[in-house]
Amino acid sequence: MSENIEKEIISIISDVSGFDPEEITPDKNLATELEIDSIKAIEITVAIEKKYKISIRDEDVPNITTLTQAVELVTSLLKEKTS
Amino acid sequence: MPRPDNTYDAIIIGAGISGLVCGCYLAKAGMKVLIVEQHDKPGGYCTSFRRQGFTFDAAAHSIGGYKYGHVGRILKDLDIEKKLEIIKIDPSDTIIAPDYKISYWSNITETIKEFQSAFPEEKENIKKFISLLITHDPKFHMNIRSLTFKILLDKYFINEQLKAILSFPLFGNGGLPPSLMSAFLGAKIFQEFLLDGGYYPKGGMQIFSNAFAERFKEFGGELRLSCLANKIKVKDNKTVGVVLENDGFVESKYVVSNCDARQTFLTLIGKNKISHDFLKHIKTMIPSLSGFILYLGMNNKFNKNYLFKAGVNSWFISYYNLETAFRAASTGDFNNIGGYVVHVSPDKKTVFAFMNAPYKNKRYWDSNKKNLMELFIARIESDIIPELSKYIIYKDAATPCTLQRYTLNYKGAAFGWAGTPSQLADHDLKKPSFLKNLYLTGHWTTHGLGIPGVVYVGYDVASSILRRKRE
Repeated sequence: MSENIEKEIISIISDVSGFDPEEITPDKNLATELEIDSIKAIEITVAIEKKYKISIRDEDVPNITTLTQAVELVTSLLKEKTS
Repeated sequence: MPRPDNTYDAIIIGAGISGLVCGCYLAKAGMKVLIVEQHDKPGGYCTSFRRQGFTFDAAAHSIGGYKYGHVGRILKDLDIEKKLEIIKIDPSDTIIAPDYKISYWSNITETIKEFQSAFPEEKENIKKFISLLITHDPKFHMNIRSLTFKILLDKYFINEQLKAILSFPLFGNGGLPPSLMSAFLGAKIFQEFLLDGGYYPKGGMQIFSNAFAERFKEFGGELRLSCLANKIKVKDNKTVGVVLENDGFVESKYVVSNCDARQTFLTLIGKNKISHDFLKHIKTMIPSLSGFILYLGMNNKFNKNYLFKAGVNSWFISYYNLETAFRAASTGDFNNIGGYVVHVSPDKKTVFAFMNAPYKNKRYWDSNKKNLMELFIARIESDIIPELSKYIIYKDAATPCTLQRYTLNYKGAAFGWAGTPSQLADHDLKKPSFLKNLYLTGHWTTHGLGIPGVVYVGYDVASSILRRKRE
């Protein structure tokens, strides 16, 4: 499941930032290497929430600095949702 | 391979500031770019017009985010600064409330001191709040993404009058009371308009837009004025060009719409090209309030007798309940208006005044414009500028219908979509995922408002296109 999630989140980040999906590697820093500033971070959060019908707590957002962390958070929220 | 003259890499519909910024960056990168604008001058809400020898700013009347924000950085980056003489008015804004008069100075310590001496019991909170806003901490911004500005203020302050004073310029610059305004947008407006505001291009706001338009042409871009776009052509879920009213179909790979989002989707693209769900989404979104703008041309005596500093945004607050103020503005209860802003031009030749106002139809405004002008002048005369009417030699006003006529913004909305937390950073309104190569830019994207906001979005959209162009 998380492989698919990773692909989908890459696609969202690519869409928002304009960076090619190949450039969005698991451990790149979203803010410094992919130029995700606060409004883009909110844009990505809103898009993820809409796609997976989950709600990400505001205080979790600043802790997400890489793709890997984003995938982990979404995976755990989806688990919570189904359990 | 040489290509036909009438094809472009990108067509931008609308020469608002965001369209111009986007166009500059695309053209600078070597793309062949056409900007079409239905009005006969560039700028959108950032234009000026001449009447009887006076130059009036149509809507935008000062610039923020210049020293610390995106505006200064982008002017430098595009090498536009030398075309402009930007003056800084200090203080940028003065708030005149029933019991207080407080100014925003370029020295922020001074601003903090003024607030502290007016509200000594909130001394520490004021310092904490303003210091937080000037740090531009992204963590702070993300933490408040789903809050309203009211919730943010409640976390810091107890005094309701102070909260109203901090919120009123946001009401005037975004059309929402704190209970509805997104905390993120509110914080941005606060940072850009109040803590880094008060800049003015010598000669008027049109000079600012013209500088971008000129630079765009120097980069090889083509700007067609008085040129209305009728359709955005879509083939296989991809944009292929734009149909112009006078020039027919013009081919282009990318299309950037700097105009009203409803019009972009419902008219230019067409309801049959978008999904039922998205159509429903667009139709349920709420636009911001419009405004009623007064333009006064003043005689020479005014120059001598106006003793306050010219160029300052003077915010007059009638009462502290901004929820009531919002209701009055939304319903057109003008006898009960919560406040307004007055801007005497730096040369003291003209006076600009703005209040939030509802759309209503043309017939309403045809029969109410004159009365409201007189009521507004009488209010300013009794609240801020004594004997104002003695110095007026020309007067006119823009109603929400006027704003709509000149800019085609839906219902004359002054700030794009209403900046509520639920209408923030909607990706489909900047780059719709269902249509390839279509972008929106400007305040209808839900990504920013005011000159600093739309300058940023224009830059961001261009960067995004340029990165993708390599594909």
